[in-house]
Amino acid sequence: MSPLLALVRKECLLLLRDPHALAVLFIMPILFLVLMAAALSNYLRDQPPPLSVVLEVPRSSEASQFFHEALMAQLPGSLLLASSDEALPRISLASDFSETLLNIPHKGPVLSFPARFDSQSRQRLRAALNIALAQTRLLAYLEDSEALPAEMTADERWQLIRQRTQSEVVEFQVLASGELSGKANASQLSVPAWLIFGMFFVALPMAGGFQREQQSGALLRFRALGVSPASLILSKLLPYLAINLLQFALLLAIGIHILPLLGLSGLNLPGSPLAYVLLALSLSLAACSLGLLLAALARSGEQALLLGGGLNIILAAIGGIMVPKSVMPEAMSQLAEISPMSWALDAFLTLLVGQGTLADIAPDCARLLLFAILLGGTGLFLFRKRVQQTQWTTHY
Amino acid sequence: MPARNRCWTANCCWYSSVLELSNVSFRYPGADTSALQGIDLQLEEGQCLGLLGSNGAGKTTLLALLSDTLALQQGEIRWHGPRSLGLVPQQLAFYAELTVAENLALFADLYRLQGTQRRQRLELCIASSALEDKLPRRAARLSGGEQRRLNFAIGLLQPARLYLFDEATVGVDAGSRQLLLDAVGRLAAQGHGVIYTSHYLDEVERVAGRILLLHEGKVRLDVDKNQLLDAGHGLLLEWPEQVPAGFQGLLDQLQLSAEALPDGLRISNLDCQQLLAITQYLAAQPTPPSLLRFGRPSLEQLYLSLNGGRL
Repeated sequence: MSPLLALVRKECLLLLRDPHALAVLFIMPILFLVLMAAALSNYLRDQPPPLSVVLEVPRSSEASQFFHEALMAQLPGSLLLASSDEALPRISLASDFSETLLNIPHKGPVLSFPARFDSQSRQRLRAALNIALAQTRLLAYLEDSEALPAEMTADERWQLIRQRTQSEVVEFQVLASGELSGKANASQLSVPAWLIFGMFFVALPMAGGFQREQQSGALLRFRALGVSPASLILSKLLPYLAINLLQFALLLAIGIHILPLLGLSGLNLPGSPLAYVLLALSLSLAACSLGLLLAALARSGEQALLLGGGLNIILAAIGGIMVPKSVMPEAMSQLAEISPMSWALDAFLTLLVGQGTLADIAPDCARLLLFAILLGGTGLFLFRKRVQQTQWTTHY
Repeated sequence: MPARNRCWTANCCWYSSVLELSNVSFRYPGADTSALQGIDLQLEEGQCLGLLGSNGAGKTTLLALLSDTLALQQGEIRWHGPRSLGLVPQQLAFYAELTVAENLALFADLYRLQGTQRRQRLELCIASSALEDKLPRRAARLSGGEQRRLNFAIGLLQPARLYLFDEATVGVDAGSRQLLLDAVGRLAAQGHGVIYTSHYLDEVERVAGRILLLHEGKVRLDVDKNQLLDAGHGLLLEWPEQVPAGFQGLLDQLQLSAEALPDGLRISNLDCQQLLAITQYLAAQPTPPSLLRFGRPSLEQLYLSLNGGRL
């Protein structure tokens, strides 16, 4: 076996026998992926979740029944309960609801929310209530002005009001452009986010292994043998690039095949496979170059762990991995642009959500590759220096 | 053509020189003094050089320069023939999570060993280090002594003209030590150059044919081991507290001179009558000496006397 192949084989064996590294590289991102996809599944979904709402009607009337119908139409699949002991949002109609519909100013129903009711659902309920109320008032107005034929049934009136208050809105979305995390569902956001996070964690075993190699004296043997720094670097890069690609394929496969089994939205991979290959390679090179730099900078395994873990968490926090950029304030969202994890996530969302092409993700991939060149170049320089500084022993 | 020079061992014959150092000096960046100054050394095939010196004397720097892990600043290191070096460093330079067999296979690949040569070298090293039944075991699960033996085996695996051993037997049990020292002896007997440094001077005395003593970066002594020990032939005396008051008078009377050692005296060039007179005197003293030895001193005793009592 050639020296390079022997070193690569050694690196693979060491990695396979390091349960901590395997946990960090595979188990941690898979757990995060599944947990976060489940946790965000209500918040980030294609269809809003059904609500349970109490509609208190002290005196039933034709108008209150119409309001009930109109409200149900705005909240498809939701439950409108007459009463409940549970902490649910409540809409309380006044006893003179039907008599006061045409009052100006008009005093609407009372809306109350339990404390744990999220702000997005509050907003949705408010909008539904306002539309249903406007439709009920329109009907009252039409009836009051005798614009409706007397023989019209309640159902026909309801249909008429719906027709008169609905318009077809033509909606366009400019695909593959701009911030897409707000449009992504939980799987489209969680799978790439935690995949990227996990891939960048190759820096830890890469750097830690190098420290152990130097401290054990194995590196000294390599130097005395004349093993070139290029071979040493390649022997580190190649296995971890392969690990990165394996992580990429495995986590996407979990997104596609396993998440639906757990009742979560499955992931679709639209677009050209080449685009995913380019993204996987750019991302792997960026992650491995960070590992190389860390290997050259850290002075012990503990330092590599702290530096690498800390740096990854910071890059993830600012890069929209932990919190979607769509919910970040403007300043934070701009700060995210410095994180390579953000570039990779943008490229992923362009493909998954924006239906983008290889050309659409090329700028993000170019940024990742530039990052890889800069960090890899610096890492290469420092790594060579570090190898050359490896001494016979630490004391003379 | 390799240089041919007279060997240092008592059985005179002609050997080829392995390497030659001329005026080698080295100073670490920021250091006030040089770690090595003007070292001249020629090592022959089949010669085992015991490299001695107290901490900071320059031993490790010399080994680092020879192994090319330090860049030479001044002077010349000339290999006669291709540079090939087997290395057993003080550190356990292998992978704890690989098995013994995997570690040996890795380094065999790095040494580019193939075919019959690979098989023979592996068998030789495994046997020399008594690791036959440890091959499937992970290196991390070996005892300290077994790990040393693996470290030794990896160094021995490489076919080399020169082998460097730096504290190769630290923590090794007595039985295994003998095994490893035998292997070092065999290397020299097979015509390889060996440089052996250890704080166990009995080991150096056993394996080395030539002693090089470094002191503050300079060669203080470079001599055949047997010549050195023969020159120290005499009576060695040590007392638990101090030399008896009348002893110097006795020596004057016998017209003998004594060399002061850290714990006693060494008296050279004495005949049987003089030896008898001294032993009679000592027998009459209330406090007998703690050590009385007539013959060649050990290398450790000589080293201590040469090095001012410093190890």
